Order: sequence, then C-alpha cells, then structure tokens
Amino acid sequence: MPSLSLLAQGLALGVLTGGVYALLASGLTLYFGVMRVVMVAHPAFLFLAAYITYFLHAVTGMDPLLTAVITVPLFFLLGVGIQRVLVARIPQESLAMMSVLLTFSLALLIEGGLGYVATGSYRSITVDYATTSLHLFGVAFPYDRLIGFGLAAATFIAIFAVLRLTRLGKALRATIQHPDAARLVGIDTAKVTGIGFGIGLATAALGGAVLSIIDPFFPAAHWDYIGKLMAIIVVGGLGSVRGAAIAALILGTIEAVVQVSGGATEAGLMFYAFLFATLLLRPQGFFGGRLAERF
Amino acid sequence: MSEPRTGTGATSARADNEQVPDPVFEIRDIEAGYGRAALVLRGLSVTVTAGSVVCLVGPNGAGKSTVLKVASGLLAPRSGSVLLKGADVTGLGTRALLAKGIAHVLQGHSVFREMTVEENVRLGAYTVGDAELVEQRCARVREVFPVVGERWDATAGLLSGGQQKQVELARAMMLDPAVVLLDEPSMGLDPKTTTALFDQIARMRELGTAVLLVEQNARRALEMADVGCVLDLGRVHISGPAADLLADPALGRLYLGAAPNASAASGAPDAATAPGPRPPADDEPPTNTAPDDGSRP
Repeated sequence: MPSLSLLAQGLALGVLTGGVYALLASGLTLYFGVMRVVMVAHPAFLFLAAYITYFLHAVTGMDPLLTAVITVPLFFLLGVGIQRVLVARIPQESLAMMSVLLTFSLALLIEGGLGYVATGSYRSITVDYATTSLHLFGVAFPYDRLIGFGLAAATFIAIFAVLRLTRLGKALRATIQHPDAARLVGIDTAKVTGIGFGIGLATAALGGAVLSIIDPFFPAAHWDYIGKLMAIIVVGGLGSVRGAAIAALILGTIEAVVQVSGGATEAGLMFYAFLFATLLLRPQGFFGGRLAERF
Repeated sequence: MSEPRTGTGATSARADNEQVPDPVFEIRDIEAGYGRAALVLRGLSVTVTAGSVVCLVGPNGAGKSTVLKVASGLLAPRSGSVLLKGADVTGLGTRALLAKGIAHVLQGHSVFREMTVEENVRLGAYTVGDAELVEQRCARVREVFPVVGERWDATAGLLSGGQQKQVELARAMMLDPAVVLLDEPSMGLDPKTTTALFDQIARMRELGTAVLLVEQNARRALEMADVGCVLDLGRVHISGPAADLLADPALGRLYLGAAPNASAASGAPDAATAPGPRPPADDEPPTNTAPDDGSRP
C-alpha cells in the first residue's frame, strides 16, 4: 500500500495527465461526432505535429508551444484537405469501416515518412519550464503537465463555445444530427464537414506541441496512444466532447493511482479494462450517451 | 364544379370556368429515375397556384415522393422542366432552390433532435442574413404554430411526433417560401394529431403559401386540399378539384380506400395504401429518419 503522500502525488499527476489525454482525444470526438469517421491516424498526426514542433524549435529557437501559431492553421487546412479529397469519397454506408482502413494507411504513411526524415531514434525538447514543478501542500505539480491541462481546458471551452454559440457550430450540430434536413435548410454540409475535420486536426497540432515537451518521442510512438485515446472516446460516449473530457480525466487519474500502488503494467491495462467493461455494460458510453445531453 | 380529368395534363387550383391565377410552381413533362433503374416518373406534370394545396395521392411506388425530390433539387430529372414563378429552375441544387423559395419537409421526422425548438426554427432561416427579419418570422411562426411557441425552449427530440412535425413546418416557414413541399406529413400520427396538422397546413395556405402535398392518408388529405392528383405508374392518372375526386365513387374504390362515411365517422387513416402495421400513437417515441445515436455508419 503506497503512503498517503505518494497517493496524493499520484492523484495530482493523474488529473493533470488526464487533462493532456483529453486534449489528445478531443479531435477524435469531433471526427466521429461530425462524420462518423474513426480516425486511427489522429495520434500519428499528434506525433507529426511533435516533430514539426521539434524542428521549428531546433532551427529557429522558437518556444515549442509558440509553434502552435504555425502548426494549428497548417493542420486545420490539412484536415479540410484530407476530408474533401479523401474522406468525402467514401460512400456513406461504408464510412465507419472504410475510414478505419483509410486512416490506418495514413498513420503508416506518416510513421514511414517520419522514420525516413527523422530516423527512428528518440527526440526530445527540453525547455526550462518543463523540467520544474509547482509545489503545493507537499505535492509536486509538473509545469509541463499543468500547461497541458490548461491547454486542454482552453481547447474544450473553445470547441464547446464554437459548437454552442456560433453559426458554424449550429450548422455542424445540425449536420451531425440530420444531414438531409441540414441540406434542406441551406447548410453546405460538405463544407461544414470539412471544417469540422479541420478543427479536429488542428487540436492534434496543439496536442503535438504539448507532447513534445512532456515525453521523448519516436515515429512509432503513436501506436501507444491509439488504444488509450480510442478507449477514452468509447468510455465517454462516441461523439461526445464533454464525455471524452470526463473519461480522459477519470482514466488518466486511475492510471496514475494504479501506477503508484501497483505497477506500470497494471496501469497501462486500465484503459483496456474500462474499454472492455464499457462495451460489455454500456456500449453507448457512460457520459455522452444520452442524446439530449450531447454538446 | 368541373369533372376530374384524366391523363397527364397540368392541374390548376381552381375550376376551369373561373379566372385561373398565375401558377407559382409548375412541373412539366418530367421524366426521372434513380441511377440506371427504370424511370419512376414518366412525363408527369403538376401545377400549383399561390395559396393553394395540391395533393398527390396514389399507390405505393407511383412516384409521389420522387416528384418532391425533383421539385426540391434532390434528384435531377432526365427530361422535362421545373418552373418557379415562370422562371426555369430545372436542375438547380437544393440550396439554390431554397434561396428561390422552395422549402421541403421530409418524410418521417427530421427535427434536429438534440437542439431546442428555438434552435431548430432559427436554423430554418440559416440563409437569411437580416437579424430583424429573422425575429419577425420567429414571432410569426410562434403565432401560426402555437405548440412551437409553447415548447420554444424544449429539446426537439423529446417532443411528440405531432409536435415535431409542427416544428418542421415552422422551420420551413422561416424562409417565407413560395412553395412548401410536404412528404407524408401525417405518417405515424394518430387521427386527432393528423387533423390538427392538416389544420395547420390549411393555415399556411391562408397565409398565401402554396403547398404540394404527398399523402398516403388520401381521403383525409383531399378533404383539406384544393386540387388532387392521382398518380399511377409515374404519371398523373386523374386530376381535378379535390372535392370532385372525393365524390367519384369509382375513384374512391380504386385509389382512396375505405368509404367516406366510415372514414368520416372514425377519423381513421383510410389511405390508398398497401396494408401495413398500425401507425404508432402520437405519444409513442417517434423514429428519426437519420439515427444519431452513434449507430449510423
């Protein structure tokens, strides 16, 4: 049994890591929510963003988080392009299955490309603020994870505000809920869907910048994340932005607490245990399943 | 009162001996079908004048819903023309036709289920930039559709089937359309709710909106409509004033189902329809045409 202080430390780290997971998973909920696309390549794009961040930092000396000013619009445009050129060509009736295959191939392409350009060795970015912690009540809060948590909160508030308050958001939600009726009130559903995909991929740019300062990374590192992130959006309720955020916080916390009380292997298994339990007991997810509460 | 006419000729909302008002919407000699399959519509013509309700009835597979798809731009015709206020709009897309004043209310339920009634109605004016005009129209539809006003803040997916249909009509009216295309609006509704819904459609007519209505609930719809067109095998088989069609016993037997007395007494859906399951009561959960619970591929 771990000491109380160790448990408190695990809890604090878990909540912060959960926030980072929430940021990494936020795009996935949009792809599925808007288009029923299962985007297996999202973590690969996260690491593509981490590498772009790495090289921008190495070449220009820019702060890794500041590179988001360049990568976020870049990834937004990339997302719109991928949706319009590739995803939009998949027939609606086979979208879920074919999108897995399409995005799986994209993930392999990115991994191969990164391996070719940057080799398979580990890279890491060291910045002063990421190696220190804020100490409160005897518990250390690493700044890198605090930043990740803050950016996750800001991203979720931004997505929520866009979906709730803007004309684009209403068009997006209408397209999600009844594409034919959305077309018949004059919404350009193809354009709106492209923008939804773009916003999803833009979150990967932000997530990649955070990832780059938290842990060392290599081209195949995205495989470690795809299972965890998929587990988060299934437990949270597919397509639910709020559900994904809650599930990420809970699963991140459980992982960290199990890590300090049990071990790394058991901690890693937690995501899959919850995924399995969700599929068995409540396939629609625990937090976003009720239609009226989504968004 | 004029006699019902047979054939593919155009149909106006008034009797022939009266001065015929200008048609607001015309479909002329349309041929249309899906993919490489055989034609569904084979030289069909229908005319709708302002402030009138034209009702298309006929057996399953006659092409009723296909007429509306062509009219709203969801399906491009292979030949023939579609005219709105005399201007040729054939082949234009949904958004272009919407901007010109053709609104389409789909078969089944098509509210945005997770949005409020207000959000649904306001989305009807998605293409309207003038905020003041949107407010004026909101006020008007709340007046015309009292249920919409009463349930303004409610989540649309939680309303009864009849209430949802009224929200859909209100949403369509937000554009102040010249023509509203209604596809089986009474589907799944109980007789009492159907009557209330048809009253609302009659109210839309009073406001000057032309309505092209497709209904399986044939006898009940013709009682409210000005003009009836009986479709069979992709053509207008018989057309004329709705009252004349209802009064024709041979027609009633062939296309309109149960005898008038029986339907008037019970108010039951009488329909020139193939036998099918009992429609769910109004308070039963309606089925959305686009499932949004994550099960859709």
